[in-house]
Amino acid sequence: MKKITVNFTLNGQPVSVETTPHRRLLDLLREDLRLTGTKEGCAVGECGACTVILDGKAVTSCLVLAASVEGSSVVTIEGVGENGRLDPIQEAILRNHALQCGFCTPGFIMSAKALLEENPDATVEEIRRAISGNLCRCTGYEQLTVAIYEAAQELKAAGKGIG
Amino acid sequence: MFQFDYIRPAAVDEACAALADGGKASRVIAGGTDLMVQIHERDKRWKDLDQVVDITGLAGELRYVRDEGERIAIGALATHTDLECSQVIRQYLPCLSQACATVGSTQIRNRGTIGGSICNASPASDPLPALILADAQVEIQGPGGRRELPLASLYRDKGALDLAPGELVRGFWFAKLPEGSRTAFVKLGRRKALAISRLNAAVSLLLDGEGVIREARIAPGCIFRVPARTATAEALLVGQAPTRQLFEAAGVEVSDEMIRRTGVRWSTEYKQPAVSAVVCDALTGAMGWEEE
Repeated sequence: MKKITVNFTLNGQPVSVETTPHRRLLDLLREDLRLTGTKEGCAVGECGACTVILDGKAVTSCLVLAASVEGSSVVTIEGVGENGRLDPIQEAILRNHALQCGFCTPGFIMSAKALLEENPDATVEEIRRAISGNLCRCTGYEQLTVAIYEAAQELKAAGKGIG
Repeated sequence: MFQFDYIRPAAVDEACAALADGGKASRVIAGGTDLMVQIHERDKRWKDLDQVVDITGLAGELRYVRDEGERIAIGALATHTDLECSQVIRQYLPCLSQACATVGSTQIRNRGTIGGSICNASPASDPLPALILADAQVEIQGPGGRRELPLASLYRDKGALDLAPGELVRGFWFAKLPEGSRTAFVKLGRRKALAISRLNAAVSLLLDGEGVIREARIAPGCIFRVPARTATAEALLVGQAPTRQLFEAAGVEVSDEMIRRTGVRWSTEYKQPAVSAVVCDALTGAMGWEEE
């Protein structure tokens, strides 16, 4: 099987990765690049655990061929937060006890981040819709919704878009 | 995972040439939200797949929604999110925007394309009834040039498409509905998010100054072998004043049409009343009436 090289921007840095044509973006991230914050849950696009932000939009990386991100920008959970500080969404999730096992958490954060980058004024209803492609089997959705809404208010109060 | 080669053409004719290579089993990939699942599940269809032809690099050519005056044009690579959020679609075919908003999850809508939804030919497609309602045409490019045909004619029986080797769907267009048309889309799934439609329907109504229905279109999804509007149910509405009773009768007529086309099956006992109700709800929704 021949190898292919994929060039894209990952968490703000240009990368060039040699991989195989049938590899998923999820495999490229977790196995080729050892970025294991992105989780594999259902592998068929139903659970949202593998959510990353591709060119500004939340996508499930299990359904993206790695080769197809050529020239694109990908943000994973490892790219969230600055200078060793947690992102306000992450802080709000901790504060609101919005996680237990944590397996689904990176996916929820990526869905929330994509939403708030595009729509800083998201309503509770819009937040619910944005995370409706993410499944949580232990904590439930109420604390997550509250946390994301809180983070949105903080970001607005701080007078900046999400970083 | 099956193993296959990958090519990423930079122009539509390059993609057609790759697909026309008779020595290789090829499949187009765009959003991948169907194909990647099928490959992951080792669907027998793809066990001999030699190459995938990734057309996401053709977005410059094929990702658009355009108001062209008398008609609206949609590129095959427009995503469900693009169509859900497009002001042009919201204005001229709101039921398509509504339908796209109900597909999968945010992540699926961000990635999945209208061309993929149409070409994968799932009878449970959500955008399909809205495009059938609008009598959409499909634009196809192949090694021999371009051609157009009514979207309803693209489908042969059991999900096969009327596409020759090397042909690629470029996009769709439809004439704007008559001014004042009201449309609606209703879907019945097992839950609100990430549901594949059990049943769905797109409808439109045009009333005259006296409040009489002048034009009616009903495009039910999931229930016919090939997608179609329902002439008899539409005829029942035209010339009448809209009432809940009339809409119920139109719903019953659509379920009768289902039985005429596909016969009585094990699921008919459920589908007959459910189809009637979905169509009635859609018509009620188009009028802006509260559901009962």
